[in-house]
Amino acid sequence: MRESRWAPASIDFSVRIYTWLLAAYPGRFRAEYGPQMAQVFRDVCRRESLHGGLPGMAALWARTSLDLVRTSVEEHIERGIDMNREKFVRWSGWALMAGAVLFAAGMIIGSFDSNWSDPIGGVDAFYEISQIVGIVLGQILFVIGLLGLRVGYASRSGSLGGALVLIAVIGGVVSLGGMLIMNSSELGWTAWALGLLTMTLALTVYGVVAIRRRVFSRWNFAPLLAGVVIPVLFGVSAGIDSSGGTLGDWAFALGVSATAVGLILLGYRMQAEAASTSQALA
Amino acid sequence: MAEAAQGPESFLPLTPAVFHILLALADGEKHGYAIMQEVEGMTEGKVQMGPGTLYGSIKRMLAAGLIEESDDRPDPTLDDERRRYYRLAALGRKVLRQETERMAELMALARRKHVWSGVG
Repeated sequence: MRESRWAPASIDFSVRIYTWLLAAYPGRFRAEYGPQMAQVFRDVCRRESLHGGLPGMAALWARTSLDLVRTSVEEHIERGIDMNREKFVRWSGWALMAGAVLFAAGMIIGSFDSNWSDPIGGVDAFYEISQIVGIVLGQILFVIGLLGLRVGYASRSGSLGGALVLIAVIGGVVSLGGMLIMNSSELGWTAWALGLLTMTLALTVYGVVAIRRRVFSRWNFAPLLAGVVIPVLFGVSAGIDSSGGTLGDWAFALGVSATAVGLILLGYRMQAEAASTSQALA
Repeated sequence: MAEAAQGPESFLPLTPAVFHILLALADGEKHGYAIMQEVEGMTEGKVQMGPGTLYGSIKRMLAAGLIEESDDRPDPTLDDERRRYYRLAALGRKVLRQETERMAELMALARRKHVWSGVG
């Protein structure tokens, strides 16, 4: 048969060109699926060559070229988004860990300030400046860390979990804003405290969601630990204040340290799992 | 797998390629070319997926836990043992059922609105 003489050569030639064109796809995708795609293309070539002849092969090439252009662009875009998301989640995990250390250090060092109402300077200057720098930088890093949590884990956390992380982000922003206007407005303290309380309460409830849905591969208790202590400290402190006492420094330091440990564990998981957060069904 | 923590409804509506691949795998595991043939057969040639669409969808479906690669390899004398076979995962089956129910509800609505007679 005439066809049997030229068909295998045209199939081999087509497959060779297609295999060469696979270079348009991202390297990882090509390495994983390139041989399979070439195999499928070879199968379709055989069929078209047998049943459609030259017009069939031409039509196949037209379809395949469009498919190749469209899907290679899609794969590059997806790879770019995934890489950016992965990087952001990883860095925000580190931000959360650094923020936790700075926040705890600022709070604990600041507790040595003997006079809370005096202007910054004098004998307490080191404690006061450490507190302000630690807490402000810590709050900025918290917001970045929580945004990373939202970006990387919203789909795994369900609609409630995603909304809670968003509330925690808003709380973190309000708290940071309060901190920045603290010297010029009395509202600053209220905003800082309310923002911090909102952030930690939202993180506490998110912790319950994380445990129930097993959002992280390990340490699902971390958000709960990170969130629950500050609201408890607020409550206990308010109760003690109303009865004329003060919260002991050791209890304060212990509570802040527990929060920092929770945040560090959460941040560690985020940076460790960043690669697995970059998956979507387009 | 973390993605499996997502409910089936979170995947809906499916893209045509994903829906057809799930449907092609509903009656057993298949390799890439067999999936392509099945989809063309089911749709009387109206849906023709290129290798890029097929394997791009397969990649995302594997990552989402909708399908899984079969460890079983056919007898090399019967088929090319280098081919990879795919099958529906439990989540994929649930997603396929929910998507089909969603479509059935849409068709029922179209019938009530006299947009579609229900035949042909």
